[in-house]
Amino acid sequence: MSFTDELLAAFLLYGMPALFGVLVISSIGVPFPVCLMLVAAGSFVAQGEMKLWQVIIVASTASVLGDQIGYGVARWGGRLLVARISHRMGWEVRILKAEAHAKRWGALGIFLSRWLVTPLGPWLNVTSGIAEYSWLRFLLWDALGNLFGVVMFVTLGYFFSGQVQAMADILGDLPWVILGFVVAVILGWKIVQYLRTPNTGAAAPA
Amino acid sequence: MRFKLISALKEFRWHQWLVVGVFLLVAGFTTYKAVNMARRMIYWHAHHDEPIHGWMNVGYVAHSYRVPPDVLYLALDLPQTPDKRPLRDIAKVQHRSMDDIRTILQEVIIRARPPNPPPPLPPNPSPNSERSP
Repeated sequence: MSFTDELLAAFLLYGMPALFGVLVISSIGVPFPVCLMLVAAGSFVAQGEMKLWQVIIVASTASVLGDQIGYGVARWGGRLLVARISHRMGWEVRILKAEAHAKRWGALGIFLSRWLVTPLGPWLNVTSGIAEYSWLRFLLWDALGNLFGVVMFVTLGYFFSGQVQAMADILGDLPWVILGFVVAVILGWKIVQYLRTPNTGAAAPA
Repeated sequence: MRFKLISALKEFRWHQWLVVGVFLLVAGFTTYKAVNMARRMIYWHAHHDEPIHGWMNVGYVAHSYRVPPDVLYLALDLPQTPDKRPLRDIAKVQHRSMDDIRTILQEVIIRARPPNPPPPLPPNPSPNSERSP
């Protein structure tokens, strides 16, 4: 059996504690198949083996807890490390710019990375912590995003309760396709800008 | 236009080529994942029944294949009470391989299902049968 199959087997045997554990660990940054677990949970709700409200509360709480751990470690540990490195390398201005960027786009980024671009979730926890993004705001958007994501995937699992494996196979690739598309568009736009404004620096005096 | 593009590319510095390289890598990776996803969706659309895996339990297989769980419990010599164990654990206890369990379940599912839509039967070539034109 594959690792994913082992996780699903553990979920069948141990129920909610297994779901809670997997979601906390994956929110910290370990790439576990979260979508699959939530779709499976929806299927078990449809089969009457689990209660919908319990799944939603347990899954949302676990995801928020894992995200808060990532944010907390970065804010109170990573911040010091970044301050030391940036001071040594002379990156203070760059760090300030990054912080301003995080504060400007933080809410949307945090919300979307909970359910749409999930591979970015753990990274945004860390960058939000390092940038000292307001903890209350982080908590609010984190909780809203996770609740939305949990309800969405559990509902999918509920309606496609007999096709957990198929749904999981499809949904496993979806966040990567979305993330890849967004990154490709940004890089493509950058290349177009390079082509529109050709370099003259090589010929120009230093 | 083409000449302008080539001349602009010729003036690219190393960090700009790095961006082009990363763009090509990301585009390739995204295309691969998107094609994979589309392939799975097409397969899923054509085969509504998903293959039986070791993580599934009897209840899930019965739900997925829309058959009463009792017939599956009976086929696996299990008591008629809900058994949450994954099939791979049942196979281990019964000293059977997962393939054996899969075959047993598939045979009983074919028999237990209503004939419409007809279940996919394994090919059974008969040498005396006449070919239709």
